[in-house]
Amino acid sequence: MKTIPLEAYFAVSMILFGLGMLGMIVRRNLVTVLMSLELSLNAVNIAFVGADAYMGLVEGQIFALFIIALAASEAAVGLGIIISIFRYRQVESTDEITDMRG
Amino acid sequence: MIKWVIFLSFSLWAIISGVGVVLFSNPVYVILWLLSALISIAGIFFVAGAELVGALQLLIYAVAIAVFYVLVLTAVPWEKALKKDTHFRTSGILSLPVVLLLYVEMALVFILGIAASPEGKFREAIKKLGNTEVIGSVLFSKYFFAFEVVSLVLLVGMIGAVIIGRKEKQTYENDTP
Repeated sequence: MKTIPLEAYFAVSMILFGLGMLGMIVRRNLVTVLMSLELSLNAVNIAFVGADAYMGLVEGQIFALFIIALAASEAAVGLGIIISIFRYRQVESTDEITDMRG
Repeated sequence: MIKWVIFLSFSLWAIISGVGVVLFSNPVYVILWLLSALISIAGIFFVAGAELVGALQLLIYAVAIAVFYVLVLTAVPWEKALKKDTHFRTSGILSLPVVLLLYVEMALVFILGIAASPEGKFREAIKKLGNTEVIGSVLFSKYFFAFEVVSLVLLVGMIGAVIIGRKEKQTYENDTP
């Protein structure tokens, strides 16, 4: 059975990571910034699992599980921060939060 | 051959969904594109033979985290953010090749260093026992401390989300222009 080469997984992962990074820079709404971050984390997961399938190991899948757990925790804390920013400041876009600008 | 066809279709689906995540301005459409991307990435995991990670991707990401984002979108009024949805467009697109160059460098180092790695250490065990059993036996023996630390991180994140999200008596004015 022919297996898919490692470079294919890396190419898909690279394209998705670039798209997520672009979304993180370009987006102005805080919720969509976090969504782009989730896309980047998933791209890294693709690289881990693809390398794993190519090399016949299981460590990459274990680290992908760790990344999924950390993404869940990050989503909880980040969305809590967004809700509290909106509740106390009534803003939700990244260029309106300028309190710490020097 | 059929594996290639399935992999390429899932990859194309994922990339189209990623472009949709970046391009659409309405956050509800964005979360639908993100859900589509997560499901297609789970398909890529299934093609790669990682059943446990794919199933957990469907269960945790595509159900729990997506529902969480929808819940937050109901609490935050996103209608007023529709008019000005993007900024720093040229600098974002110009910084994209630098990011991709760093990623390609990392991938090249990995591909060049793959000769020194213990390739195929578990291949016989995976063929004999199945993927999920091998993951469980390695996760609960070699990476047990990391597993416990991750559970502690989840607990700390839950406590932090509760403390951040609770109501305070005092509200603050946004006094910057």
